[in-house]
Amino acid sequence: MSFLEIKGLHVSVEGKEILKGVDLSVDEGRTAIIFGPNGSGKSTLMGAISGLPGYQITKGSIIFKGQDISTLSVDERSRLGIGLSFQYPPAIKGVRLRTMLQTISPAPDKIAEYAELLNLTGYLDRDINVGFSGGERKRSEVLQLMIQMPDLLLLDEPESGVDIENISVIADGLRIILEKDQPIQKRKRSAIIITHTGFILDYIKADIAFVIMNGHVLGCGAPGEIFEEIRRDGYTKCSSCFAEKFCEFKDNI
Amino acid sequence: MNIGQIDTGRLLDIGYDSCTASCGNFMVLDHTIMESQCRIEGLVVLPLTQAFEKYPHVREELFFNIVSRDANDTTRSAAGRDPVGYYVYVHPGVKIEEPLQAAFLFGETGARQFIHNIIEIGDGAELNIVNGCTTASHGREGTHVGITETYMGRNSHLGYTMIHNWGHAMEVFPVGAVSVGEGARYISNYVGMTAVKKIVTNPIAHVASRASARFYSVIYSKGESFFDTGARVMLDGRDASGEILSRVVSEGGTVISRQFLSGNQAGTFGHMECSGLMLNEKGVIHSIPELRGAHPDINLAHEAAVGKISSEELSYLMTRGLTEEQARSLIIRGFLDIKIEGLPEKIQSFMEEIISRSVEGSI
Repeated sequence: MSFLEIKGLHVSVEGKEILKGVDLSVDEGRTAIIFGPNGSGKSTLMGAISGLPGYQITKGSIIFKGQDISTLSVDERSRLGIGLSFQYPPAIKGVRLRTMLQTISPAPDKIAEYAELLNLTGYLDRDINVGFSGGERKRSEVLQLMIQMPDLLLLDEPESGVDIENISVIADGLRIILEKDQPIQKRKRSAIIITHTGFILDYIKADIAFVIMNGHVLGCGAPGEIFEEIRRDGYTKCSSCFAEKFCEFKDNI
Repeated sequence: MNIGQIDTGRLLDIGYDSCTASCGNFMVLDHTIMESQCRIEGLVVLPLTQAFEKYPHVREELFFNIVSRDANDTTRSAAGRDPVGYYVYVHPGVKIEEPLQAAFLFGETGARQFIHNIIEIGDGAELNIVNGCTTASHGREGTHVGITETYMGRNSHLGYTMIHNWGHAMEVFPVGAVSVGEGARYISNYVGMTAVKKIVTNPIAHVASRASARFYSVIYSKGESFFDTGARVMLDGRDASGEILSRVVSEGGTVISRQFLSGNQAGTFGHMECSGLMLNEKGVIHSIPELRGAHPDINLAHEAAVGKISSEELSYLMTRGLTEEQARSLIIRGFLDIKIEGLPEKIQSFMEEIISRSVEGSI
């Protein structure tokens, strides 16, 4: 059984159906990339997996570690091992980043080490994301996830609004979470990464890519190959070829 | 009741801790002075009646001077009595690190307690005072009237922290006035985290040239509590500045939060911020920010907001594994956690501890 298995998932937001029967699975220790044009349902998928309010699952199931989590609350899913990096993380006035990390952390001694890695030492005693630049917010997201150490990492456009140097720092942190220094067979943590630009692929090696359009998964394949096709031909032209490739690749990895 | 019958936990709740280093102590139980100690040279801590004898100017020039006997019913009712309270004086140039601890305890059910304190800070002197007020137990009903007159010399500093820990049957009427001398810095912190029948207080600061007065208050209203609190800052000298910041959390009762800033001279600067957080539909927060400009060369501004906890912030924290209760607690504690520049770390930590404990106990 897959680490994460999504079957026939339909999700509505404010009464409008966004996901229209998504099937997707990610194995333990694997990193999946999701490509898709604006409005295709990528962020909705992340919201539905993590259990954020406002994402109503109307049909289908999300099986994580063999358990259907679709009715669990967001914090229950988090404690089960799901961690989300927000595309637009909110600022929380009055709550210091260090206080939050100490509250979530099973290993508070790592806070200083990881903060230094992410150039966030000076931000620990500032309010969460208040006055942070785009890159600082994304680094703060990765720091929180490093302390949380989830088994399934959901990254919603980790590189958007981030310059090249910051992408490199963010990727350093993500590689630690995802145990990228280990042989693939030994890795335990998985990830789903949404990307528009594909820049993150230069830093984090993904094992499989999915393409979502109009609320459906059109296909999956080798990340580099699919990204090249999208760059060359665009999503619309490629939609039929993605469909043809569906799952052929996956069975071989 | 004697001091031995008072729960020491209640004293700790208001910052009165005999184990903590302090420059002096003063404690009143009902109308009896139980402790009056001074442990540092250059500081005077005396019962007010003794100060009248030793320092005639205290009665003649400072007693009922910036607080008028006829200011209101509260002052009129206090004026006819023998004053019970402290006189604190810091000699010019003496800078004291450890705070002065003072406690005002109410033990007699149904009684009225009248307190009158006078603080005089010499030129260039510095002091921090932590005042705590509490009942011997939370069931006691009665009335507390507390008058505080503060006189600050040039370039002096006073941090004045007031912790209220009254019971739900108490009516409390603090009256305060401060004269902030040229270049002096006055910081007032007010913490009210327990249910109370009624608190009415609206202290005033007269701020001289280049001086500053800052008022901070955090209030957690619950049950049937009624708070009518605020501050008035009169920027009377050139380049004087003032700040009033209040944070109110309501899970019941009524809080009227009044702030008044008046810029009367050139170069005066003032800012006020009143934020209210409503946890349910049982309470009312009524914020009344007022600005008065009496000179064209002034800069006064205010911000006021009343609302609920953001669901987006809650969800965000919950994605990190916090339960909804933990996330709410973190947000509320953060909301009430005001960082006060110039306040000693020890007092800031103590305030944070009181706030955390109260929030944990409420959620």
